[in-house]
Amino acid sequence: MLKHLMAASALTLVLAGPALAAKEVTLDLVEPIADYKIFVAEKTGELVADTQAFVDAIKSGDLDKAKTLYAPTRMHYEAIEPIAELFSDLDASMDARADDYEKREADPDFTGFHRIEYGLWDKGSTEGLEPFADKLLADVTELNKRITDLVFPPDTVVGGAAALMEEVAATKISGEEDRYSHTDLWDFKANSDGSQKIFELVRPLIAETDPAFVEKVESNFNDVDVTLAKYESGDGYELYDKLTDQDRTLLAARVNTLAEDLSTLPGKLGLD
Amino acid sequence: MTTKDRDIETRRTGANRRQMLLGLGAAAGGAMALGARPSAAAERQVADAPTEAETVRRQPFYGEHQAGIVTPRPAHGMVAAFDVVVTSPRELEQLLRGLTERILFLTQGGTPPELDPKYPPADSGILGPVVQPNDLTITVALGASLFDNRPWLAHLKPNTLQRMVEFPNDALDPELCHGDLSLQFSAHDSDTNIHALRDILKTLSQFLVIRWKQEGSVPVIAPKPDGTSESARNFLGFRDGSANPNSNDAGLMDRIVWVGAEDGEPAWAAGGSYQAVRIIRNFVERWDRTPLREQEHIIGRRKMSGAPLDGGNSEHDVPDYAADPEGAKTPLDAHIRLANRRTPSSQRNLILRRPFNYSNGVTKNGQLDQGLLFIAYQADLQKGFIAVQSRLNGEPLEEYIKPVGGGFFFALPGVVSPGGYLGQSLVEAAGKIPNEQS
Ligand code: HEM
Repeated sequence: MLKHLMAASALTLVLAGPALAAKEVTLDLVEPIADYKIFVAEKTGELVADTQAFVDAIKSGDLDKAKTLYAPTRMHYEAIEPIAELFSDLDASMDARADDYEKREADPDFTGFHRIEYGLWDKGSTEGLEPFADKLLADVTELNKRITDLVFPPDTVVGGAAALMEEVAATKISGEEDRYSHTDLWDFKANSDGSQKIFELVRPLIAETDPAFVEKVESNFNDVDVTLAKYESGDGYELYDKLTDQDRTLLAARVNTLAEDLSTLPGKLGLD
Repeated sequence: MTTKDRDIETRRTGANRRQMLLGLGAAAGGAMALGARPSAAAERQVADAPTEAETVRRQPFYGEHQAGIVTPRPAHGMVAAFDVVVTSPRELEQLLRGLTERILFLTQGGTPPELDPKYPPADSGILGPVVQPNDLTITVALGASLFDNRPWLAHLKPNTLQRMVEFPNDALDPELCHGDLSLQFSAHDSDTNIHALRDILKTLSQFLVIRWKQEGSVPVIAPKPDGTSESARNFLGFRDGSANPNSNDAGLMDRIVWVGAEDGEPAWAAGGSYQAVRIIRNFVERWDRTPLREQEHIIGRRKMSGAPLDGGNSEHDVPDYAADPEGAKTPLDAHIRLANRRTPSSQRNLILRRPFNYSNGVTKNGQLDQGLLFIAYQADLQKGFIAVQSRLNGEPLEEYIKPVGGGFFFALPGVVSPGGYLGQSLVEAAGKIPNEQS
């Protein structure tokens, strides 16, 4: 896109946007959506299984194990957030952050992953977390059931690619999502992979009509992957504090641009 | 010289004024009026209060220097600082060409393309279907870190460009400081500045990540019946800008503001200017509890008229420190006396101030978070801002002010004619890479 921008003469007073390249096209989204549903089903299946283990660790008072399982369990949820968020009641009880409530951590409605995270890291104990653990498992099970019955709306799926990067831009770049455990890079990776998955599924539909766009998006995803790979550690990632300023800036630039570019994806695919 | 003499002097014509400013006029001898700005002027000064007339004004883009430096201040200003993601001269060129493209559109006006409604709109729409210029200028400046962190650029850093120093009275908030690049927006209204910022963030996100921003404003004051305009007041209630050097005097600006070809700076920098930005909080509650006489002694001017303490009745009158060596009239540590001793040697420390007032909200202690978005331009950062601020260190005004943010930047030379782009001379010096323009 920038190339277009640069090609315009200095006097041209119009923004060379994606519309210039866009044509009315009818595209067959059936297959990509079906594939995406399989991907989501896999993730929710893993989410249920891993949450069970996480909850077991909490209830048996195994603090270290619970802490180890926290970040990888969340990743399954973060990867499918555009779909999971369709059920706003579950999203609120599973993934809300303390600042979503006026009373912050003390608010009785503050439940879910981050409430447990607060207990495990800030309080350093599994004590008192059982009710939250039970509730989380119930929510996850319910989510799995609802998703199985769901007809996936194409605009949600395609729009999800940008929504996931938007999510990263708004909460993961600053390290405020997992503020007690500092495991934000795991979420970051999960959001980004979830977005990339959607892009890959619809890629064949635009590869020929819009190669410059495809190339730019892929190159930006690649920069994100390469940068995050520097922080791999064991089965997961280093703590957020390890992220250098330079890498944070690079990631922010790439994530913002991905959110910007992917926001045109539904339009490119003729979705209204 | 008597007060009356000075009154007469300030009414002189431009030519005499210029001579006087350069210290050549006979009258300049005792008055030490060097660098002072004139009063009666149809041409408006950089820090004169904005007048209503500028609603639909368009500021030219092309010129030897960027707009927004000697351009009279409109009512609203904003400085935004960015981290820059570029790893080669080619990417730097892409960024600067992109900025030039957007700045041209935003400052000259135009109609954004109408896209198929399936797409996000090309423009935020804040200014409606047609983007009016609204007196907007956008001034691009580069920070030391842009050069320091890039081996292919480091040797081209302007001589006195450096990371903002921490002065003794500063309490710098790291989240409000520094940056690889700054954009100064000034416009008739704050929405125009915000529209421009959002446009640039949207179109250049690949290269620019915003670090901090501060908005400010100055009150609009209609010109007086005789055509003269006056300096706007800051949040301490004093006129701010009275003693600024005459921004309509091109020769004076060449000396004080613009980097010249003979200044020993990297050749690409000629026509640019050092930009010092400071976010300076004012403790306004405490100030309002301070006796008027003390306020006036701290600043060195009368609060209502802006006149100097040794006489005169207008902000354009000039103090005569030679006649007041003990500081009986203007205390030796008054802000204006420290900032400009008005001696031949202090001539080289003159700076051009173009500040805005800011009001952000309330602090944890329940005090108003207000202050000055101080912006100054000079041809040499060391002799300009840094020297002046160093003299101000320890001034009585410090009890009422706290610098919390800002940065030092170098405003790029202007784009002389269509086809060129901001920073072209720098990119070319960094090693011209075959560009992909066509
Ligand atoms: C919140 C902080 C500040 C306030 C409230 C303030 C206020 C004022 C006022 C009321 C004047 C007199 C009117 C005028 O000539 O503009 C003045 C003059 C001046 N100020 Fe400041 N100022 C502040 C910060 C600074 C800083 C940081 C600098 C530079 C380091 C500076 C440099 C000057 C200079 C050079 C003059 C003109 C002196 C002359 O030539 O007579 N000021 N300031």
